[in-house]
Amino acid sequence: MTEPAKRKPADQDLIRAVWDEARDLIKRLEGSTVQRFAVEAGDTRIEIERGIPAGVVASAPAALASAAATGDEAALAAELDSRHPIKAPLVGTFYRASQPGADPFVKEGDAVDAGQTVAIVEAMKLMNQVLADASGTVAEIVAEDGQWVEFEQVLMYLQPPEE
Amino acid sequence: MFEKVLIANRGEIALRVARACRELGVKAVAVYSTADAESAVVRFADEAVQIGPPAVSRSYLHIPSIIGAALKTGADAIHPGYGFLSEDPYFAEICFDEGITFIGPRPDVMEKVGDKATARDLMSKAGLPLLPGTVEPVNTLDEAHDIAVEIGYPVIIKAVAGGGGRGMSVVQREGDLGRLYQTTRATAQAVFKDSAVYIERYLETSRHTEIQLVCDAHGNGVYFGERDCSVQRRHQKLIEEAPSIHLTEETRREVGEAAVRGALSVGYTGAGTMEFLLDLDGNLSFMEMNARIQVEHPVSEMVTSVDLIQEQIRVAAGEELSVSQEDVPLRGHAIECRINAEDPDRDFAPTAGRLDTYVPPGGPWTRVDSHCYPGWMVSPFYDSLIAKLIVWAPDRDRAIDRMDRALTEFEISGRGVKTTIPFHRRILAHPQFRSGDVTTDFVEHFMSEEAAAAAAAS
Repeated sequence: MTEPAKRKPADQDLIRAVWDEARDLIKRLEGSTVQRFAVEAGDTRIEIERGIPAGVVASAPAALASAAATGDEAALAAELDSRHPIKAPLVGTFYRASQPGADPFVKEGDAVDAGQTVAIVEAMKLMNQVLADASGTVAEIVAEDGQWVEFEQVLMYLQPPEE
Repeated sequence: MFEKVLIANRGEIALRVARACRELGVKAVAVYSTADAESAVVRFADEAVQIGPPAVSRSYLHIPSIIGAALKTGADAIHPGYGFLSEDPYFAEICFDEGITFIGPRPDVMEKVGDKATARDLMSKAGLPLLPGTVEPVNTLDEAHDIAVEIGYPVIIKAVAGGGGRGMSVVQREGDLGRLYQTTRATAQAVFKDSAVYIERYLETSRHTEIQLVCDAHGNGVYFGERDCSVQRRHQKLIEEAPSIHLTEETRREVGEAAVRGALSVGYTGAGTMEFLLDLDGNLSFMEMNARIQVEHPVSEMVTSVDLIQEQIRVAAGEELSVSQEDVPLRGHAIECRINAEDPDRDFAPTAGRLDTYVPPGGPWTRVDSHCYPGWMVSPFYDSLIAKLIVWAPDRDRAIDRMDRALTEFEISGRGVKTTIPFHRRILAHPQFRSGDVTTDFVEHFMSEEAAAAAAAS
């Protein structure tokens, strides 16, 4: 067996550079739905988890509602039977849980409130929360865990609450 | 050669690149925002991925979505087109990290030539002529003063990181230097986050002349003649032509060779353009380098018979250029008019709307590069380019006649949609344009002349 490489003393410049990068990222992520990210260089790693300001949640439904219908037959059928589709906020990989092995954010039959995190879409190691843009009960989850999704692809349907 | 190329752009250039891919036997992947779901390239491409909403910051400029689409579709290269991410070294670097070939120069080379001070320094070393002025940034007002006195007024102060006509001030006399030096630095800091400026002689009248080149990774470089883009309004080009009738064969060869030498000296690969000012005595001065394919590349294609996009893809795939310098003599004359959805009577305000009628011209040596079709919605989210109309003829006079004929054939209409077609026809008819004696201030004079004539008539 070879001798394990000696751990280099932490390089102050490197740490500073990683911090600068992280600070810059935080600034650039303002107003986005990115929840968690990591900056890494050599042995230095900074992982940041952030909350989402309420304003972002409020603006999401408007954007989704105004977008054109996907033409997807399933989406059309769902609209006819009054279920509410939750669509991917960006291109990436759809995950039902915050990390492998964790409980899913929601399962079929769960009641969700508008603004609640129901899934994440990962794009280039950035975890973007998918927020429910309406309240209701999870009727069907159509996207597979780990599936790559396009922008506005339907991920799941909510059954709106009874009037 | 690549198997599959993702096109990170929209509009006519996305379709142009997809066409080149098809002819090369390469599969093309289109990416599109929800506003472009019905676009021509989405129909034409082998695959298409919806990447975001109309806002470019969340679609065509959103790097994670574009990389995600490339990885998902298994594209081995990304063609950035022009604009958007085409000159973003950070994007080029991410492509590299993800194992995707960026069709363009290496990120470090892109960064070097994108910095005006560095580019001037490098190209001056390669033997390209510069205007009298500084290569290094000017750091103090005293220094600026000494330089201005040395090269003589008027001078122009330019932001090192500037572009697109922003971050520059013309100083006519010494009394204005202090104020303009400070404001240009402040603007440069605010807009480009870099206050560095340099100073050079300002030419009151000059012609915008640019040299097209392509370099491969095997040390070969070819220049494809030059384009004259002097018909511009506020730095927005309206009409481009090739070749320039003001360049002698000897100057063309000298500067072309120096441009290729300069590009190769920095390890440049791919298509690029060196911009020059041509003064009224026929002297060229290097201005800057654009590390991308340009809107007006078709005029160079028409006079050289070379598909520049295909060459660009070929060299990015590691192949050698398919032509050498001897294979590209310039033949005839080509002109391009940019047909924009803009209203020249209202200061060229963009006029978005649905195209009820769209009938492009045809006929001999008439080329239309466009993504439009009847029913297409000219979106308010993006640039207003409807079509590039390009004609070729054995000489400039006949090219102008052909262009005018083609413009009269072009039918575009829709509620609220105005185009620059009538404006182009009036420019083509102007004796000064006919004579070819056009400098970059031509459009400004032309417009005030028209305004004066209209005032006299009423």
